[in-house]
Amino acid sequence: MGSNTPPSRAALEPFATLDPAALAGLPVSSPLTKLLLVDLTLHDADELEVRTRDIALVDGVKALAWVGDSVFVGTASGYSLFSTTNAQGGDIFTLPESSRPPRVKPLSGGDEVMLLVDNVGVVVDRSGHPVGSSFVFNTTPDCIAEVYPYVVVAGDSKVDVYRRKNGAHLQAIPFARPGTGGLIVASEDAGIGSDVVVIATAYKVFCYRKVSAVEQIKALLRRKSYAEAISLLQEFEADGEISNDMISFVHAQLGFLLFFDLRFEDAVNHFLLSETMQPAEIFPFIMRDPNRWSDLVPRKRYWGLHAPPKPLEEVIDDGLVTLQQALFLKKAGVDTVVDDDFLSNPPSRADLLEVAIRNIIRYLCASREKDLSSSEMEGVDTLLMYLYRALNLVDDMEKLASSQNSCVVEELESLLDDSGHLRTLAFLYGSKGMCSKSLGIWRILARNYSTGLWKDHAILPETDSLETSVGKMSGEEIAAVEASKILQASSDQDLVLEHLGWVADIDQELATAILTSEMREKQLSPEKVVAAIDPEKVGIHQRYLQWLIEEQECDEPHYHTSYALSLSRSAMDAVRLGSNNEERNNKEFDSDMQFIYLLRERLQFFLQSSDLYDPEEVLYVISESELWLEKAILYRKMGQENIVLQILALKLEDSEAAEQYCAEIGRDDAYIQLLDLYLDPKNGKGPMFTAAVRLLHNHGESLDPIQVLERLSADMPLQLASDTILRMLRARVHHHRQGQIVHNLSRATNLDARLTRLEERSRHVQLTDESICDSCRARLGTKLFVMYPDDSVVCYRCYRNQGDSASPHGRNFRKGGIFKQSWLVSR
Amino acid sequence: MAANPGNKIRNAKLVLLGDVGTGKSSLVLRFVKGQFVEFQESTIGAAFFSQTLAVNDETVKFEIWDTAGQERYHSLAPMYYRGAAAAIVVYDITNAASFTRAKKWVQELQAQGNPNTIMALAGNKADMIEARQVPAEEARTYAQENGLFFMETSAKTAINVNDVFHEIAKRLLQGQQAQNTPAGMVLNQRPAERMVSSSSCCS
Ligand SMILES: Nc1nc2c(ncn2[C@@H]2O[C@H](COP(=O)(O)OP(=O)(O)OP(=O)(O)O)[C@@H](O)[C@H]2O)c(=O)[nH]1
Ligand SMILES: [Mg+2]
Repeated sequence: MGSNTPPSRAALEPFATLDPAALAGLPVSSPLTKLLLVDLTLHDADELEVRTRDIALVDGVKALAWVGDSVFVGTASGYSLFSTTNAQGGDIFTLPESSRPPRVKPLSGGDEVMLLVDNVGVVVDRSGHPVGSSFVFNTTPDCIAEVYPYVVVAGDSKVDVYRRKNGAHLQAIPFARPGTGGLIVASEDAGIGSDVVVIATAYKVFCYRKVSAVEQIKALLRRKSYAEAISLLQEFEADGEISNDMISFVHAQLGFLLFFDLRFEDAVNHFLLSETMQPAEIFPFIMRDPNRWSDLVPRKRYWGLHAPPKPLEEVIDDGLVTLQQALFLKKAGVDTVVDDDFLSNPPSRADLLEVAIRNIIRYLCASREKDLSSSEMEGVDTLLMYLYRALNLVDDMEKLASSQNSCVVEELESLLDDSGHLRTLAFLYGSKGMCSKSLGIWRILARNYSTGLWKDHAILPETDSLETSVGKMSGEEIAAVEASKILQASSDQDLVLEHLGWVADIDQELATAILTSEMREKQLSPEKVVAAIDPEKVGIHQRYLQWLIEEQECDEPHYHTSYALSLSRSAMDAVRLGSNNEERNNKEFDSDMQFIYLLRERLQFFLQSSDLYDPEEVLYVISESELWLEKAILYRKMGQENIVLQILALKLEDSEAAEQYCAEIGRDDAYIQLLDLYLDPKNGKGPMFTAAVRLLHNHGESLDPIQVLERLSADMPLQLASDTILRMLRARVHHHRQGQIVHNLSRATNLDARLTRLEERSRHVQLTDESICDSCRARLGTKLFVMYPDDSVVCYRCYRNQGDSASPHGRNFRKGGIFKQSWLVSR
Repeated sequence: MAANPGNKIRNAKLVLLGDVGTGKSSLVLRFVKGQFVEFQESTIGAAFFSQTLAVNDETVKFEIWDTAGQERYHSLAPMYYRGAAAAIVVYDITNAASFTRAKKWVQELQAQGNPNTIMALAGNKADMIEARQVPAEEARTYAQENGLFFMETSAKTAINVNDVFHEIAKRLLQGQQAQNTPAGMVLNQRPAERMVSSSSCCS
């Protein structure tokens, strides 16, 4: 507790001195005599009180205090406590050998008592229990007084001021001339609420009053004793002796002082602790007046202990001059208040500037979280960008520019442009909805990157942040990605189409995403889009049309036709390529096949599902190709049944599909047409008897035998012909028999069901006198009754009311039929 | 004085006793602030700290009295251990005399103190094994014989420091369930109700 550093606070200040002349008529030594008298009166009290007899047991009372029911007694051997109610007592503690005489001092209006052991003050409560750490006085006290929150101790020709709460030594007031007699300090007895302490020497009385918390801090700050001011502030804060507003005020004042002392980190720490400080107060450090925000800056001067804020560079230059002077003075042996660290290790201007900017950045970032007016917010964000730029913190610049921000673009535009922070500028334009400008920059950047104008190492720091999130990307790609973000949300058709081209050159996927984005408020005109797409970029065109048709459900026939044509051409190209390239390994071949398969599947699916395209036009395009299935689909759309059958049956030899198609047509003559084709394929192909036989076997029953016979050609081998006919006839007989079997089976089931019904109806039921109707609860007696399949029994009247379909148990036989195991058909 | 139900804070007076320089203040500083200073000033009178510690769902608020080891202030000690719910007697493992002094403290507590006081024996400066003078086994045996619990601690490296306080808190809470008597100790000839007003487990 006893701190070695000399206390430098001024908790007490003199406000009056009474010299003997002023005290004319008063005996100068009266306080001293009084104190002696007090000592005597104590003995008097001892004699007066009946209960003091017990106390008299204690040898030689040297100090005494009476608070409430407790009497504290100090003797040469130690301290004891007696109760005035029952005169009982006990030791509190004993004094060590050869210690100073005991001294007892009531504190806090008698709630607590200080007992002295040499220069140590032990505070106890009225029951003698210790309270808090011991006081360690730096002299052995002659006299103690309390002016809350201080304890004032006189001794050794000086008066010391300690903090009551923690015993910290705050102030020493020297009263020179030792040997001129003891010092006496006194305050109003209660100690609480009094502001004045009187210090009496042998020849004079000095009156001191408490200095307010704020004044003490101010005095320390004036002397630049920051650490002490801060610890004092913390003490007052902990004691609740200082208002929150004042705390904020002091932190701001401290911050400004530290700032001008070039201790920027500490300064900002204090700025941040001030709840009332406005971010605009530090704008003048960043931007020279007058500027857009000049009027916003509050003219707060605090205690006027610092110069008015001025641009950072000037603060640093002036600070460095002061530092130089201090160094000079120090060499000359003169004390200064300049920071020792700085003196022993003078900082460079550049370092200071960087530290200052970094810390202001920290402050502005924290300010962004606050509830600020929009113009202040603009100032904060714009200046933040300004400072990021000063340190070339590209990542931070881009992060700020691309996120929600209040930057004022006009203030930053030319600045960022000049310093080549084009990406930041592009992000900024983007976040401010200035799409066209933003896109213009991205386009320039993309071009510069691709022409190698910007060497990779030069762009590395810029791409760093993005690389991690998007994987390795070239600057060009990033430009395209950023542009596409803007374009995807833009409803400005001309703008979108203007930039579509260069994005597409870099990444077709992105271009497609731009066109098919559903983020924009107003859709682009398909006509313009289709016109704008580079005819070389088939993929984009196709994907756009697909999106238009599938997602947007566009029913313009010409888009359907375009889509069909585009897919067809792609399919044809793919097939052609696939067959041209012979020298390929299996893997490549497989993946090619896969690609062709998928493409054709898409085409076939579309041709089948859409009714809006022009099949003839498509047919014209693929007529020369081998896309037979596609052709079949188209002919089918056109109702050319026979050609479809020809393709299916003869070209693709997919008799299953052909038969399926016949089934779809649904007329018997379709099968005959197919049979015709099988038996006489023409074009030099021989008859396909197997397929024909299969057809007859599968569908013989629906073919007229006469017609079939007519079609069998004369040169058909007898063996095959007989086989065919036999099969057909057999199929018919088989069909008939099958029908008979089904018929008989049904009959059997029917019989079974009837039998069960009969059994069900002939069930027996036993009624007694007690039996009641399940519905009306009346006794059945000899009444007519009815039994439901779920075994509930009701009287006939209830049955009439209730009907067949619902039993009194709540079962509805129409909705949920009853089912018993025994009713199962046994076969 | 009823048993504290869960979640209530139980106040417990705790005193540290031991020879000068054994590291009492350092142990407290470590426990309360998590700090250690190489040049800790010798305590004069006594220093007071408070620190809460949660054990399961209960909280113990330690009112810690860090007494002075200097012989001159020995006579103050009874005031601080009077009514204490727990006492930590500290010696320095690199100093055999401090162990002898610790045994004296234990004796004094057994004779003068409250029989319910939980006593811990802390062999501090366990980080300095190369200078060890007091074998851990010897201290452990002594502790067992005298019903203390024993740990070697280091305020410097923080080893076992929180553990000592934690163990005390645990024993306090267990003991409290077993017996609901106040831990306060009645001073000779002193009216009992006086002591109760600020004895260690009232809130
Ligand atoms: N190496 C080491 N040094 C320690 C340890 N604990 C305390 N010390 C040192 O020992 C010295 C005395 O420590 P204190 O905490 O002041 O001892 P104390 O018991 O409070 O002493 P008194 O207040 O005089 O009774 C200080 O210089 C500490 O830095 C420890 O665990 N390891
Ligand atoms: Mg100590």
